[in-house]
Amino acid sequence: MTIDWIAFIAEGIRMATPLVFAALAALICNRAGMFNMGVEGMILCSALGAVIFAHYGGSVWIGLLGGIIIGLATGMFIAFASLTGKADLYLTCIAFNLMATGGTVFVMYLLTGEKSTTSGAFRSYQIPVVDIPIIKDIPVLGRIISGQSLITYIAAAAVFFMWFFLKRTRIGLRIRAVGENPKAAESVGISVNKIGYISFAICGVLAGLSGAFMSMSWVTFFMKNMVNGRGYIGLSAQNMAKGEPVGSALASLLFGFTDALATTLQNQTNFPVEFLEMLPYLATIFAIIITSIIAINKRRRIEQGAAK
Amino acid sequence: MNKTQKIESMMEVVRILAGLVIAYAIALAILFAISEDPIYIVQQFILGPFSSPRRIGTVINLAIPFTICGLSMCFMYAVNKFNLVGEGIFMLSACMVTWVSLLLGPGLPSVVMLPIMFIVAILTGIVVSFIPAIMDRKFNANVVVVSLMLNSVIQSLATWILRYQVRDSSISYLGSREIPESIQLPKILGSFRVQSGLIVAIICVIVVAILFYKTAFGWKMRLVGANPRFATAVGLSSISISFIAQLAGGAFAGIAGATEMMCNYTRFQWTVTTQHGFDGLLVAVLAKKNPVLVPIGALFLAYIRIGADVVNTSGDIPTEFVTVIQGIIILLVAAESFLSGTKNKLIFKAAEKEEKEKEAKAA
Repeated sequence: MTIDWIAFIAEGIRMATPLVFAALAALICNRAGMFNMGVEGMILCSALGAVIFAHYGGSVWIGLLGGIIIGLATGMFIAFASLTGKADLYLTCIAFNLMATGGTVFVMYLLTGEKSTTSGAFRSYQIPVVDIPIIKDIPVLGRIISGQSLITYIAAAAVFFMWFFLKRTRIGLRIRAVGENPKAAESVGISVNKIGYISFAICGVLAGLSGAFMSMSWVTFFMKNMVNGRGYIGLSAQNMAKGEPVGSALASLLFGFTDALATTLQNQTNFPVEFLEMLPYLATIFAIIITSIIAINKRRRIEQGAAK
Repeated sequence: MNKTQKIESMMEVVRILAGLVIAYAIALAILFAISEDPIYIVQQFILGPFSSPRRIGTVINLAIPFTICGLSMCFMYAVNKFNLVGEGIFMLSACMVTWVSLLLGPGLPSVVMLPIMFIVAILTGIVVSFIPAIMDRKFNANVVVVSLMLNSVIQSLATWILRYQVRDSSISYLGSREIPESIQLPKILGSFRVQSGLIVAIICVIVVAILFYKTAFGWKMRLVGANPRFATAVGLSSISISFIAQLAGGAFAGIAGATEMMCNYTRFQWTVTTQHGFDGLLVAVLAKKNPVLVPIGALFLAYIRIGADVVNTSGDIPTEFVTVIQGIIILLVAAESFLSGTKNKLIFKAAEKEEKEKEAKAA
């Protein structure tokens, strides 16, 4: 068995892209004090939206825009149900994910007559791959850093924008204030609902980018249930990093590599596929356990310190 | 019960009914918009499920797993833990029942086999739901995320068992060997062809209702769900109560999967989870966590599902639109603001009236 390690690392980064966006999307809501499981369904809807817009608009950019618009719209839908409608956020998200799973198949069937994939009926569009001059000629690094999809570079930029946004801007500060203590924030005149809507809007854009990557870069069509838990994995990634953008991105990268490992082993060994398919989800569960133990130990140490 | 409470519980019923009516109207509107022969299709959607004894039987058959899964989710929902692992347990329990029954072989009589099968199902449920429950208890890990991840793991695990342990290589599709006749449950009620799982479902409803409303544990559980801080303040350990409730919920999801397997199939052939866990959540939400109302919610869900199936076969409408309707129902029932204005107005009016009566008496 020989594994092309450079290709493996490049693949890991590619697989991590939708997870990074999913993590950032969940992160912004989490910082505003809302546990948004709906990211999963939002990505799924955006993935379909991107394909539809690209097909009817005849351009990959219209598709990308379409993905973002659908992400935004679904974000507003969840925000409306939970903030204005005052429905329990967990229930809202579970209901929304259910609707997204069935609704995407329904819409796909109405438009194409197919129930599993749009690959036959819709023209496929791919977001261009970027070759960075100079870097692409560096032996190992070139194959990893250069030649990724445009969205992958946007993801890397988004991580730093998110860090800057939360730490250095007025609105970022308000979002964090609402997340830490909504009553205190309200008392100094911040509208908690407005901040909630703003967070969901940003979350929607990020989920839209994630969806567009899924259906226009990972593959070039939409298929039923294609997100397959990536939204939840992103959610756990940011949960592990306690809502820190850079940490969340690193955790997403780890899960991306697990995903790439599963695909690589699937192609090169005859290990049962079923166990390889479990890898990303098992990795998530173990990661949750490990980070929780660390957090608990840390708290215990602080408590002991205080007792002395 | 004072007047405000009366109005509140009445409005709860009105809200659920209004939610159902609105969602149903949306379903009809969708059908009207997309079908070429809307009147026929809508008629089929509404009346189709009642058009023959066989179809009525199908509605009841579908309501059986929905009821048991709904009961399972009642436990989770009662303690406010959205542990969605029932989805995976349903599949794994059916798979384990198949595996164990094939290992034991056809020699044993039903009297011995059936209890063993239910014990296998219950154990599967408890063992699987133990994982997110213990992680919630020990590490404060998010139950929703862990249970969803676990569902994906279970799906692969069950598929592996199917492919490498119980597969029948003599048939052209991926399916297990036939389960022994001793555990294939018969159909009852003549031409309605209802599964004998109906009896299991009825027993489960009675057991859960007694557990919820007639035992100390049920009372504790409902208290923990309604007001965890109060529960802790009066000396209940809300963590261990919600932990046990989740295990109990898992056990019922296991029973649901086993019942479905033994009543409806002769071979295990699922390679993806069946959505029954999520359907159970809808039923529990509709029933407002009250096990006695669970069968009604389950029957309603089964009715619109069969309606969608009828429409799917007689017209060109994909059944998936029902999931959208299902989501809308959950949202409307869960949204506290929905019709809250009307409720407040009614409470206000009642209070005003009472005040006036008092004044009249005083005068």
